[in-house]
Amino acid sequence: MSVLARPWSRLTPAGKVVLPLLGLLVFLTLALLVGFATGLIPGLIRFVGDLLGANIGIVRFVVAASAILLMSVPTAFVIIYMELKVIALMNLRLGPNRVGPWGSLHSIVHGLKVLGKEDFTPTGVDVPVFTLAPAVTFLAPVLGLLVLPFAPGLLGIDMNLALLYFFAVSGLSVLGLMMAGWSSFNKYSLLGGLRAAAQIISYEIPLTLAVVGVIMLAGTMSLNQIVMNQSGSILDWYMFKQPLGFVIFFIAATAEGNRTPFDLTEADSELVAGFATEYSGMRFGFFFFAEYVGVFILSALTTVLFLGGWNAPFDIDPVLNALGIRFDLALDLARLDVGLLFLLALGPVVGTLLIALPIWMLRSDWSFLKSLVIGFILLNVLLAAAVGVWLALSFEAVVGLGWFLVKTYFFVFLFVWMRATLPRVRIDQLMGFAWKWMLPASLVNLFVTALAIIVVSEVR
Amino acid sequence: MDLPGKGIFRGMALTLQKFFEPKVTVQYPEEQHDGGPKGRGRLILLYDEYGALKCETCFQCAQACPIEIIDMGGVDTKGRYHVHWGPPEQYAERREDSALRRSGRPVPDQSFVAYEAIDTAPLDRILADVDYDPRQMLTILERTQEAYGYLPIAAFRHISSTTGAWYAEVHGIAAALEHLRVEPPGGHVVGICRCPNCTLMGGGRLREALEAELETVIGGTSPDGRVRLVAESCHGESRLRPHLTVDGADQDDTTPAGATSLARRLRGHSRGRAQA
Repeated sequence: MSVLARPWSRLTPAGKVVLPLLGLLVFLTLALLVGFATGLIPGLIRFVGDLLGANIGIVRFVVAASAILLMSVPTAFVIIYMELKVIALMNLRLGPNRVGPWGSLHSIVHGLKVLGKEDFTPTGVDVPVFTLAPAVTFLAPVLGLLVLPFAPGLLGIDMNLALLYFFAVSGLSVLGLMMAGWSSFNKYSLLGGLRAAAQIISYEIPLTLAVVGVIMLAGTMSLNQIVMNQSGSILDWYMFKQPLGFVIFFIAATAEGNRTPFDLTEADSELVAGFATEYSGMRFGFFFFAEYVGVFILSALTTVLFLGGWNAPFDIDPVLNALGIRFDLALDLARLDVGLLFLLALGPVVGTLLIALPIWMLRSDWSFLKSLVIGFILLNVLLAAAVGVWLALSFEAVVGLGWFLVKTYFFVFLFVWMRATLPRVRIDQLMGFAWKWMLPASLVNLFVTALAIIVVSEVR
Repeated sequence: MDLPGKGIFRGMALTLQKFFEPKVTVQYPEEQHDGGPKGRGRLILLYDEYGALKCETCFQCAQACPIEIIDMGGVDTKGRYHVHWGPPEQYAERREDSALRRSGRPVPDQSFVAYEAIDTAPLDRILADVDYDPRQMLTILERTQEAYGYLPIAAFRHISSTTGAWYAEVHGIAAALEHLRVEPPGGHVVGICRCPNCTLMGGGRLREALEAELETVIGGTSPDGRVRLVAESCHGESRLRPHLTVDGADQDDTTPAGATSLARRLRGHSRGRAQA
C-alpha cells in the first residue's frame, strides 16, 4: 500500500487534482481509440439514435418537461425582481440595489436564503397533505406551460385540446391551496384556503366563458392554431374581435392569479399570508414561485388568446424594403479561408484594444488594466448584441419569441402596476362582482359572438 | 358625470407618473446630505463634574441663534438680576424693554423678588457639623429652620453651593415637607387640636370660627402676617373642652365667640371687614 501512498502524499494539493484528471484523460483517449477502431462506438451511437427516434414522443415530453421546469424558476426570479423594483420605483423608492447591477441578482439571493431556512413542520398538521400541497400548487402552473406556444415551432405539445388541458391543470392549483389550508391545523390557514377555493372557483367560470368566444371564432382549442389564426395584420388579433371577452378574461385572470386587487387569499396584512401561514423555508418558496409562475402563464395565455401570441404587430420587411435596407445574412465563414484563423486569433484582442484605448485615454483615473477589463466586457456585450440581431434576422422563432415575451411581460408589468396602485377589495364585493357582473357579461359576450358568427356567415 | 372605474385609471396614471419621477431615497452611509444652511445640529446644555448646569446665562447662544428659537431666562452670574431673552410677544413686554434685553445687558425684572443676604455663620456651623453631606439634607434644613426661624432663600443658595446639591433639590425638599417653611413666621401662633375628643367637645365650631376670623386655614398665616394657625395635639389631656393654645399657652375660653374675640385681639383689629 505504501508503494502508492508515499508518492501520493508528496503531491501538492493541485497535483492531487491534476493527476487523477490526467489519468482519466488517458483512459478516455484509449477507450475512444479502441471503441472507434472496433466500430463499437459508432454502433452504440446509431443504436441510441434509433431508440430515441423510435420513441420520439417520450423524448419530446422529457425534453419539454425538463425545459419548462428549468425555465419556471428563473422566470419567477425575474418577475419577483420586477415586482420589487417596479413597486419601489412607483413608491419613489430605489428598491433592490445591492446585489448585482441595479440589484438584478436580488431574487437569486432571495431564493438561496429561502433554501437555507429551516423546513419546519408544526405539531398537529396532516403531514402527507401538508408536504404535498406546495408541490401541487407549484406544479399546476408549471404544467400549464407545456402547451403554451412560445414561438413558431417552439412549444411542448401541439395538443388539439390545449385550452381545455390548460384550464384543467391550472385548476389544480386550487386543490393545492385547499390542501395547504386544510392540513395546516390553523384557522387562518383554513380561512385563506377556503377564500382561495371560493374565489378561484367563482372566477374560473367567467374566465372560461370569456375564452369560449375565442374558441368559437377560431374553431379550435389548440393554442398553436389560435395563434396562427391571428397572423396577418394587427387587426386580426382577437383583442379587437372580442373586446369584452378580453376585459373579462383579464379581470378574471387577476383573480385567478391571486393578484391585487383580488389577493384576498393571501391578504398579507389581514390573514397573515393565508394558506401559507404555517409554511417556512423552501415549501413557502414553492407557494411564492407558484404565484409568480402563475402570473407569467396568465399573462402568456392572455397574449396567446387575445394579442396574437408570437405574431409581430407590424411587418418590418416592407418598411426595410422601402428604406432600401437589405441584410445579406447568408454568412459563409468558410469563404474567409485562412482569414478565419486570423479573425479568431486577433479579433478579440484588436476589438478589446479598440474599445479599451479610448476609455483609458478619456478616464485618466482608471488604470490600463481596468480599462482593458471594461473594454473586454463591452466587446462581449456588443458581440452578444450582434449575434442576437443576426439570430433575430435569420430565424423566425427568435423574433417570435421576442414578440411573445414583450407582450407577456407587458401584462406582467400591468399586474405589478395594478398591485402598486389598487387597494384590496372586500370579500363580499369580490364574490358579488364575479357572480352579478362578470358572469352575465361573459354570457352576453358569448351570445353576441355566436350571433355575429351566424350573421356574418349568412351575409356571405 | 363620473364614469365607473374612472378612479382606477386615474390611480394607474398617477403611479405610472411616479414611476418615472426622480427618487427621494438617500443612500445614507454612501451619500451624506449637508444639513440646511442654518443648521446647527442638536443643542444641549452641559453639566459640570458636580452635576450643576454649566450655563452662565451669557445669552451668546440666543444671540447667535439664526432662527431666534432660543428663549432663555435665569439669574445673572453674580446673582444680582433676573434676566431673560426671548421674543417680546411671549412676555407681553414693551418693545424698548425687548430691545434692551436683546442688547445682552442684564435688565431688572419687575416680578423678581430682591435677594436678601443673611448672616451665614450659624448655617456654616450646621453644615460643618454634618460635614457638608447633601444626603443629610433633612437634618440641615431642620436645623437651619431652628436657627433662623424659617428657611431664607439665601440659605438655599448657600446650602446648594456648599454641599453640591442642586438648588431645585434643596428647594423641593423644603417645599414638600409641611414643617419646613420658607416665609418668616407670623407674630402669634394659634394651635388647635383635631382629635375626635376635641371635635366632640366643640372643636369643629372653634376651628370654623378661627379660620373665618383669621382668613386662613390650618397651616397658613393670616393675610397681614400677624397670626399663624397650626394643628397641635392635645395628647388626650383635654376632657371637658377643645384644646386651644396661643403661643404655647393653654386657653380656657374655647367657645366660638371667645375664639373670635381672641383672634381679633391677636390681629389688633386690623381686619378690613370688621371696620366696614
